[in-house]
Amino acid sequence: MSALRLLSSAARRAPSTLTQQRRGYAEVADKISLSLVLPHQAIFTSKDVVQVNVAAATGDMGILANHVPSIEALRPGMIEVIESGNASKKWFASGGFATVHPGNKLTINVIEAAPLESFSSEAVRANLQEALKVAAGNGSEEDKMEARIEADVYEALQHALGSK
Amino acid sequence: MSSATWRNFFTYNKYAQITARAVRQSLKESERVVAEKRGTTALKYQRWENGVGGPQVFLNPEEDKKVGKSAAV
Repeated sequence: MSALRLLSSAARRAPSTLTQQRRGYAEVADKISLSLVLPHQAIFTSKDVVQVNVAAATGDMGILANHVPSIEALRPGMIEVIESGNASKKWFASGGFATVHPGNKLTINVIEAAPLESFSSEAVRANLQEALKVAAGNGSEEDKMEARIEADVYEALQHALGSK
Repeated sequence: MSSATWRNFFTYNKYAQITARAVRQSLKESERVVAEKRGTTALKYQRWENGVGGPQVFLNPEEDKKVGKSAAV
């Protein structure tokens, strides 16, 4: 009698063979296929990434897998690519278009882009001062508009470099 | 595109070239040299009449002559 009780209690105490579920950060199952191309270089060609943050003309947006197809013009600004986990890479782009195609594909075409480390804050500051001077000066309307556009780019660059 | 009034003066192409030029001019010295080459454009044209070609003319005479021939990247 006691042996039976001992056996049953022993069985209850024995650890179950259920594997312990390890809790970690969820690995995103769905990725979007990104192609980030410049006229002279392809930074990504159909690479599966988790999220892409772009500076669209209508506002900053983050593009995840299965985004609705859309075409967005980009302002001069940062493109951030999150490939997996928390690692993200950033580029500053001069502007272009981001197109989400049906079938979970994202194509970003920009004319000039470089990683933030490739920029020199000194050059940006000097360029910005120069551009603001021309924009406020008394050249032709066209020249002033050109300078205004350049000043916008430099200001966006300063903001990007400052908040690395 | 905060100052969207550039539409009154330029095409989108011109606007994109201006922003690209601004980005190139902000790179570090080492990378800027390579980048500047990407920004140069030169045009040479030739007028044909009755099957005979005229002289080949540079669009911007002095600047374009400086741009040498290079292998297409």
